[in-house]
This record gives sequence, structure tokens and C-alpha cells, in this order.
Amino acid sequence: MFAYYTRLALKSFRRNPGLTALMVIAIALGIAVCIMTLTVYHAMSGNPIWWKNDRLYTVTMDNWDPQEPYREQPRLPPPQMTYKDSQYLFAANIPERKVVMYSTNGVISQAGSVTPERVSTRLTSADFFSMFEVPFLYGSGWSAAADSPPQPVIVLSREENDKLFGGMNSVGRTLRWNDREFRIVGVLDDWFPRPRYYDLTGGNFDPPEKAYIPFAWGVELELLSNEDTDCWKPEKIDTFKDFVASDCIWLQMWVELPDAAARARMQSLMDGYWAQQHKAGRFQRPRNNRLTNVAHWLRDREVVANDNRVLVGLAFAFLAVCLINTVGLLLAKFLNGAAVTGVRRALGASRRQIFIQHLIEVGALSVLGAALGLALAALGLAAVHHLYSAAHLGHRGGYQELTHFDSVGVVWALLLALAATLAAGLYPAWRVGRLPPALYLKSQ
Amino acid sequence: MSIAVRPILSALLRNRTGAVLVAMQIAIALAVLVNALYIVMQRVEKIGRPTGIDVENILVVSSAGFSERFRTVPSIQEDLAYLRAVSGVVGATPINAIPLSGGGSSSPLVTSPDAQRSDNFNYFEVDEQGLDTLGVHVVAGRNFRHDEIGPPLTKQDASRFVPQIIVSRALAQRLFPHQSPLGQRVYDALNQTATIIGVVDPVMGSWPGNEHPDWVYFMPRLPFAFGGSTSYLVRTRPGQRDTVMRIVEAHLAKSNPDRVINFVRPLTYFKNLSYLGDSTMETFLLTVTGLLIAITGLGIFALATFNVSTRTKQIGTRRAVGARRRDIVRYFLIENGLITSAGVVAGCALALGTGYWLSLEYALPRLDLYYLVGGVLTLWAVGQLAAWQPARRAASVPPSVATRTV
Repeated sequence: MFAYYTRLALKSFRRNPGLTALMVIAIALGIAVCIMTLTVYHAMSGNPIWWKNDRLYTVTMDNWDPQEPYREQPRLPPPQMTYKDSQYLFAANIPERKVVMYSTNGVISQAGSVTPERVSTRLTSADFFSMFEVPFLYGSGWSAAADSPPQPVIVLSREENDKLFGGMNSVGRTLRWNDREFRIVGVLDDWFPRPRYYDLTGGNFDPPEKAYIPFAWGVELELLSNEDTDCWKPEKIDTFKDFVASDCIWLQMWVELPDAAARARMQSLMDGYWAQQHKAGRFQRPRNNRLTNVAHWLRDREVVANDNRVLVGLAFAFLAVCLINTVGLLLAKFLNGAAVTGVRRALGASRRQIFIQHLIEVGALSVLGAALGLALAALGLAAVHHLYSAAHLGHRGGYQELTHFDSVGVVWALLLALAATLAAGLYPAWRVGRLPPALYLKSQ
Repeated sequence: MSIAVRPILSALLRNRTGAVLVAMQIAIALAVLVNALYIVMQRVEKIGRPTGIDVENILVVSSAGFSERFRTVPSIQEDLAYLRAVSGVVGATPINAIPLSGGGSSSPLVTSPDAQRSDNFNYFEVDEQGLDTLGVHVVAGRNFRHDEIGPPLTKQDASRFVPQIIVSRALAQRLFPHQSPLGQRVYDALNQTATIIGVVDPVMGSWPGNEHPDWVYFMPRLPFAFGGSTSYLVRTRPGQRDTVMRIVEAHLAKSNPDRVINFVRPLTYFKNLSYLGDSTMETFLLTVTGLLIAITGLGIFALATFNVSTRTKQIGTRRAVGARRRDIVRYFLIENGLITSAGVVAGCALALGTGYWLSLEYALPRLDLYYLVGGVLTLWAVGQLAAWQPARRAASVPPSVATRTV
């Protein structure tokens, strides 16, 4: 029966090719637009390390100007830490793992035969790699002993290792970073958390740094952050020493706390430190010491742009119009064929059979629409990717990182297409099944 | 009007599903059209704001010294001497940040030593060719002189201020709303003072997305080698930017083994990148809205065509009993008009509701009512146009059809 109904459906399509094409195109466009916006939205709103949501916390304290809050979100403390506060908290052994870090630029030279090149470099501590579950291709991170005093050890990203050493195992070799010798201890495997939750002061979808060295090199070599450094206090900052003693914020701090008890102890450590500093004249704003998990952090930092929410809304409004359009056309078409349906009813077809026959026609339409919609969405996403890559001169980072069509996206698309069109076809199929056959037979 | 609306209406009401569906489409289409176009117009306005900078003819060079032997100031002097001698170059300046790029420096500036420092203002460190290189005109006072250009900040005196500054007109109005800014003293965070020696045309600073991107001032000083990097802006004669870019890139890459050239890029690259989100939003909204109107129009057309074909007999009958062709055309256009009107009325409510919700949720400005009027007229036109051809086809049904199947 299914094959027969499918044949009937195809026959019906051939009878009104223009109308069929219009319906398929409308469904396909509606679905394509939805998939495109949802793909981008999905990529933006992801939590790249969700399984550690109850362990991983970023540390922030409100050290800002008593007269006014930090920027637009008065409820929140500034997103970064001062050197002195982060150093105090870093000394505590409550967390299972902990990092204080920032990003800078350095020039790598005398590595392989490649000409010197500036690379983004993260100054961080030993726990960084295990805490954020960074995968290694060769070697590993450095040990805690290499953190302080800082040892000349460096970890390269896979991309950078490919460029410098043609992808070979470079562990044990040396290179010069800002004209100082460093030994390679590890090479990362592909790693690109989107969004870049561990540091949202640069672009939210920028790739991770290309090189990693121990944090204490920052003070040793007097390296400034290449991302946001914010100061509020009128204080004389002439030297790097002045800078690290200042109330300027420029560091990201994360801790891994195994359970609620550890979390409570960390919180009380922060509150105790706050109270002591408050008494000494710092921290004159209301107490706002926070341990924020990744999910809340992404929300607080407004990683999903309002524009993208508007676009998802627009896409669904568009899909609604496409589907209403299809309902109208299907209804007109089915009712127009009422005479034939009447004959079939008179010859013994049940309402159910009529309903199923029409539903199969709708199903065929929806398969066609979904296939075309998927193709259109892939094309559209490729176009957006191309547009953004071109604007970035081919560099990574930015929205082009959000246009990857993943398997989740395909499943979404198919479900959406099927649900949408079947919903659209249900009413017309039901209506035509309810027609009294006699009425339509009469006029013949 | 020889055809009364009432019979059309009652015919519609007897068979309302199709009409209701079309009206729903029109309502949603109107809400989307009006709000999308409103958002697009805001973005167009934002991107189109004058920058005050000769963006098209400027290129940006970024250089990073990395070896122990590298000396910042001699390197800057050498690079500038070279850049200024390249044929096709109008001017070149070292600069601490790239205008319009979304990255830069800001610092407070107040008009009395004890004033509350609530605003940070975007500043640029440039030399005596800085303003000419940007293409910014001095409208009052004067430009920096060569002998006023100070040495860059170092890690020994990083809080040093400058004796003179030049401010943008917008910042001058912000600081001295009632006085001439020329010759006035301003104070930095540490109450070091500078004198305003010039005012320039409106100019956009580092952050086009800020509320006041044009609150900008200039300091006569070589830029601090931030992270070892120094940037230059080079302005070329119109049309020569790309040629100059190739020449400069090839030369600088080899000129000094103790530094690397991070990039040589047109300033348009940074500007476009800053507005990429806005321009994508524009493209997407316009495309989807265009498709929406097209689908709605085609849907109306297809449905009307269908209706005509199913009503051939009635039309023939009406023609046989005396209706003229134009009565038939008018019947279908009025029928379409009624449906569109119903949709438009619902759509107005939906559009206003959506606009209000957007303004609350996303802090967008409230919908402008002109857009609503425009949207209503557009959908009316689309509806009538879509119904026109089917109506003409209906009118061409010969009266004899009425007798044929009886």
C-alpha cells in the first residue's frame, strides 16, 4: 500500500509541478534558515567543559572604584584579578588544581628553519593542562617545580609545531622565545574550545594561544598582557614593580574544587582575605567575592550575542510563514482533488486510508524539502564561513568558527523538517478525509 | 462601486480556512518586515557614520623588536625616514593603537585637579605627521611641532604625561561646554597637566562600538613599544595604497634582523572587522525578509490561481448573467484586499508587540511608526500584485463555461 500511495503522491506532484516546487522550496528555505541560525547559536551557547561544571570555578573579587562599578554590569565584580590578590589566593592549597594566567606576544626564533615570527603566548601554571583537559600529542606539560622559579620550558600548539618542525616530535629541542632559550616539553594535540571560556577578554571564539610558558616569566621578563588591562585607581605606575603592586586587573584565575566543602573553604578564604584588606583600606565596594562555574561564567560574560537570539527568532518566524504557506497550498490542492477522493471513498476507501494516502504525499514533500533545506543550509553556512574567513584574511578566530555543520546539526535539521512539514500536512490531510464523498460525486 | 463588499465577505466567511492562513502569513510577514528593516536601518546608520579618517588610503604596519640588540627609538626613526621617502606616500606616523580596530588605550582627563574622574577618554600617541596621516584637519589652534614630540614611555617612567594635547571637537565640547578649549589646562589621573593647543574635526577613535567613539585626544609622543611592538600608519595618494603596501612589506621584512614585521594591512581591514557583526546582521535580515515577502507573494498568487481554477463555473455563471470582465477582476482584488487588510491589522499588533519586546529584551530603540506605515503599504501592494494575474485570468473565463457542464 505504501508503494502505491507513494506512486499516487508522485503522480499528484506531476499534476501541479509549479505548486509542488513552490511548496518544496518554501519548506526548504524555512528549514535552511532555521538550521543556519541554530548552528551558529548552538556553537555560541555551548559549554566546552560541561562535565566539570561542578568543579571548575573562576575567581573574581570586586576591587573596583568605590565611586562606581566596573563597566556595565554593576552586579558583577570585574572579570579579571590583580596580581597581588591572585598571588595571595594562589598560595592556598584548598583547590585540587589552580591557575593564574594571562596572554602576551612573543617572538619565536631559531626554531627549525623558519623565519622569526610573533606568536600569542599564554603565561600560566603547571595545572593549566590537566585542569582544562588539554590533549597532548607529544610530551606533557611542565611540573609544578618548573613554575617557581620559572624554568625555561615551553609547550607548543599542534599548529605551531607543524609550522616550526613539520609536525615531528620536537620534545627536547630548544628554540628562542623573545631571544631567550626555551626547551620544548610538550606539543598539544588539536584543541579549540569554543567559546574560549578560560579567557574571555579577547575574542570569544579566538583560537587558544600557540605557545605556553610558566607564569612567573611574566614578572621576570616584565611582560604586559596583550589583552585587556584595566586600572581605576589614580596611582603612580612607573615601573613593572609598581604595576604588579597596583589595583590594575589583567589576570585570569581558575580553581578546581572537588566538592562543596572545598568550595565553602575557598569562599571563606576569599571572604577572610577581603575582610582583612577591607580593614586596611582596600576593597571599599560591597563585598562581592565570587567562585563562578563555566556555565554561569559564559552567561555573565554574555557570550551569546543578542543579535544571534534575534536571528533565531527571525528564522522561526520565517519557518512559520513558510509552513502556513504550505498548509494553505496543500489544503487548496487536496480540496481541489476532492472529486477523485470522493470516487475513491465511494469505491470503499476508508477515511483512515484517505488520510494516510494524503499524509504520505505530505511526507514525500517533507523529505524533498528537508533534503533541499539541508543542502541550502550547508551552502549558506559555507557562504558565511567564506565571508568571515575572507574578512579575517584567513586567520582563525571569529564567527567563521561557528559555522561548522556537525552531526547534531544534521539530526536537528531532519527532525525539524519532518516535524514541521508533517504538522503542516496533518490538517489538510485530515480535512480531505472528512469530506462527504456524495457531495463531490454529485457534480460529476 | 457596483460590487458590494458584503457578498464577497460572506463568501469568504463560508470558506474561511484559506483566507485565515493567508492573513496569518501576512501578519507575521508584516511583523518581521517592519522590525527587520528597522534594525537594518540602525546598522546602516552605524556603519555609515563618518570616521573623519582617510580610511581607504591608509595602511598599517606592525613591527616587533625581539632581540637584546633591538633599540626602539632608532628603529622608529629609521622606519619613518624610509616610509616617508617611498613614492606615493603622503605621510607616516608611529601610533600606539590602530584606529577603528576595537583595541586601544584610554585614560581619564578632567578640567580641575579635584574633579571626579568618571570617564576614560581614548588617546593616540602620534608625531607631528599624525593628524595629516589620519587625514584629520585642525579646526582651531595648531598641529604638533617636530620639537614637541616626546620620547616613548619606558618601564621606568610609565606614568609620564605630555605638556600639550590636541582634542577632538566632541571631546572639547564634553570638557569645556561653555568656553573655548584652546589654551585650557587639563589634568590626568595623577594631576599632571597639559595644555590644549588644538582642536580637530570629528574623528572616530579605537572603538566604533562605544557610545562616544569620537571622544578622542592626541599626545605628541612616540608610542610605547607595547609588548615590543610598534605600529605605523602610512597614508598614500589615492589609488596607490596596494602598490605602496607591497613595496613597504618587502623592504621592512629584511631591513632589521632584530625585529619581525607582524603585518602590513590596509586600515579598511580593521574597520571592516569591527563592523563585521553589523554587516552580517544586515545581510541576513535583508535576505530573510526578502525571501519572506517573496514566499508570501508567491503563496497568495498560487492560492488565488487555484481558487480561480476551482471557481471557473461560478465565474462563468456570473459572466453569463451580466458581470463584466472588470467586475470579475474587481471581485478578486477586493477579496484579496479584505484578506490582506485583516492580516495587516493583526500584523500591526504583532509588529508593535515584537518591537516592544525587542526594545525591552535587547535594549533596542523603540520601533519607529513610519516603518509600520511603510510595511502596511508594502504588503498591500504585494497582495494586490500577487492577485492581479489570477484575477485577470478569472476575467477571461468565457460566459459559455456556465452552460458547458450542465
